[in-house]
Amino acid sequence: MASLSSNWVRNDSSPRVVDFKAVRCIFESGIKLEAKPQAVAMAATLYHRFFEECNPEDYDHYLIAATCLYLAGKVEENHLKIRDIVNVFHKAIHPKLEPLDLAEEYWLLRDSIVQCELLLLRVLKFQVSVDHPHRYLLHYLKSVQDWMAPDIIAKLPLFRTCWSLLCDFYHLPSCLCYKPQHVAVAIIYLALECYGVTVPYNSDAVLQWHEVNIYVFYHNFISM
Amino acid sequence: MKTIRRRLSKAARTSRPNSEGGLSELAEHLSLQENGGITQNAGIQRIGFLARATRRLSLSTTRITEVAGVVQEHPRIGSDGESEETSGASDEVISPAVRFRPKNHRISRQDINKRLSLPVDLRLPESFVAKQSASPNIDGPLSRTVRRQSLSEIGFGKTETYTKLDKLGEGTYATVYKGKSRLTENLVALKEIRLEHEEGAPCTAIREVSLLKELKHNNIVTLHDIVHTEKSLTLVFEYLEKDLKQYMDDCGNILSMNNVKLFLFQLLRGLAYCHRRRILHRDLKPQNLLINDRGELKLADFGLARAKSVPTKTYSNEVVTLWYRPPDVLLGSTEYTTSIDLWGVGCIFFEMASGRPLFPGSTVEDELHLIFRTLGTPTEETWPGLTHIEEFQNFKFPKYELEPLVNRVPRLDCEGLDLLTKFLKYNPKIRVSAVEAMRHSYFESLGPGIHKLPNTTSIFTLPGIQLSRDLGSKTVPFLSSSRNRRQSMLL
Repeated sequence: MASLSSNWVRNDSSPRVVDFKAVRCIFESGIKLEAKPQAVAMAATLYHRFFEECNPEDYDHYLIAATCLYLAGKVEENHLKIRDIVNVFHKAIHPKLEPLDLAEEYWLLRDSIVQCELLLLRVLKFQVSVDHPHRYLLHYLKSVQDWMAPDIIAKLPLFRTCWSLLCDFYHLPSCLCYKPQHVAVAIIYLALECYGVTVPYNSDAVLQWHEVNIYVFYHNFISM
Repeated sequence: MKTIRRRLSKAARTSRPNSEGGLSELAEHLSLQENGGITQNAGIQRIGFLARATRRLSLSTTRITEVAGVVQEHPRIGSDGESEETSGASDEVISPAVRFRPKNHRISRQDINKRLSLPVDLRLPESFVAKQSASPNIDGPLSRTVRRQSLSEIGFGKTETYTKLDKLGEGTYATVYKGKSRLTENLVALKEIRLEHEEGAPCTAIREVSLLKELKHNNIVTLHDIVHTEKSLTLVFEYLEKDLKQYMDDCGNILSMNNVKLFLFQLLRGLAYCHRRRILHRDLKPQNLLINDRGELKLADFGLARAKSVPTKTYSNEVVTLWYRPPDVLLGSTEYTTSIDLWGVGCIFFEMASGRPLFPGSTVEDELHLIFRTLGTPTEETWPGLTHIEEFQNFKFPKYELEPLVNRVPRLDCEGLDLLTKFLKYNPKIRVSAVEAMRHSYFESLGPGIHKLPNTTSIFTLPGIQLSRDLGSKTVPFLSSSRNRRQSMLL
């Protein structure tokens, strides 16, 4: 047991794994709180943007993650209660522990989030409006669907795969590097590729984005 | 690729919840490890989660600045340098503080201004200039951190840079003061947001700041600076003397028709810019339109505005002040687009031309009654899809006939009336857009040059465009009615 935990600590020091776990926490909590997908995506984006600016060793990643989700709720008009955020995150990080009592620790965490939110806003220079790939993905998928034979569409869980890929894409900071339109196209391309399906379309026009983005995806999936 | 394909097909077959996806196995693996680690170290880790946070955050705000290295930037000074206000006036005009340039100094105030992309009317503190001149490294490219530091040393983002003068108004979470910037000697409006709230920074404030930082237009109020202290967040706006409501009150509700046209055009110009960037204002009313003594009209109070992310987006229902709220929203529609703002423009247009609000309803039902009595009760013909709206059936409105608007605004000419009816369409889909409205023949008299102005240029720079003198615009001192002002900025 002891060796496992020390082993874990060593793994933990890799910023990639910490990021992955923290963003997973955001997604898990977001789902439990029934947050809108855009709010969760926003939270992940804020998280990565914060650590693009700041030294990862200076901050508690889970506190930042919790604050990101809270702030994202405000930005995306999907207000999440700070009480719920504290409790759900606590449960996500410490699944074996009892829920927090309404005691000092709870109030401290609450205050920390409120303070951290202001820190976050300042680090991000209050620039917290983001164009998400979600709507592009849905629009593009609709077009692709109309394009393909109905029996193939019925057979493949294409929508769900794309949606999952999109969620997974937010786990690494590379999600900041691409335009939302490009991300959406690349995800559809990757999903189709995975199922070995070809669409009767002219791929020349979009090839360039694919190459760039797919490289990232390979990187994400294979290295993780 | 093979591995991914296999993993995906597996994920699809076992039909996991969407968000788990291809990474779920890995994640499970991780959480297993995590559990092992955490049960043993639970106490320590828990304290870690907390203690680190509180240690970081209980520090004073100045410390936070240091840690994060953040100074709020002057919004006109994009680091990309795209929209500096470099007026044609050059070095000579800069500032009264420049007496002469010591010869032994290698770098002048002008150089510093240029290097940091600051507005020309800025007065740099002596100490800062001295320090910059002393620093040997001035030729290399400016790093972001250095620039921020410099801005902070000049005085951006600091409370002491701004002197509070009069209180202009107070609301539930913010107080607005008239103030003065020690950097430019210009008047500013200081919107001080208290941070005592349990739920942190108010989301309207967050949205307002994030939107205003993107918007740079002559007909949108400029956010100059943000000052963050422990107790409050102060937004520093440019100062404008009045809002449209006060302007109308001060001139006895009789505006010259020339001014009505100029104000309406500027309102549409600012709005078209927002809409082009997919931002809805959602709360247009005379109290939110600020006017300075040159007659420039600027949109303010973007607390309810938001970047429009999806064309068919559902927003919360309660957003626009009742009098300026379109009937589709009154009837419960949450799927609206830029057309929501244009109804309000129509109401404001009417109010400027007639001196009276168009539909001063006190409740939703009352408001709808007033609308229908003037414009006629809508039918499936004038508003396709109306009969499917449940609320409309529930209210059981009587059948009103259309009352000619000219009876209520005799001062408005034919073109003006035509434009007004285009704003007041029941069907949001055929309501005129801001860009289309600017091209309406009503504005032909302003000349063609008006459409070619750069975003940050005032319409009053064009020859022939002049504000007429309205009663009270000069004779009544601006401060005379300062008691109940700017309520709108407060929410």
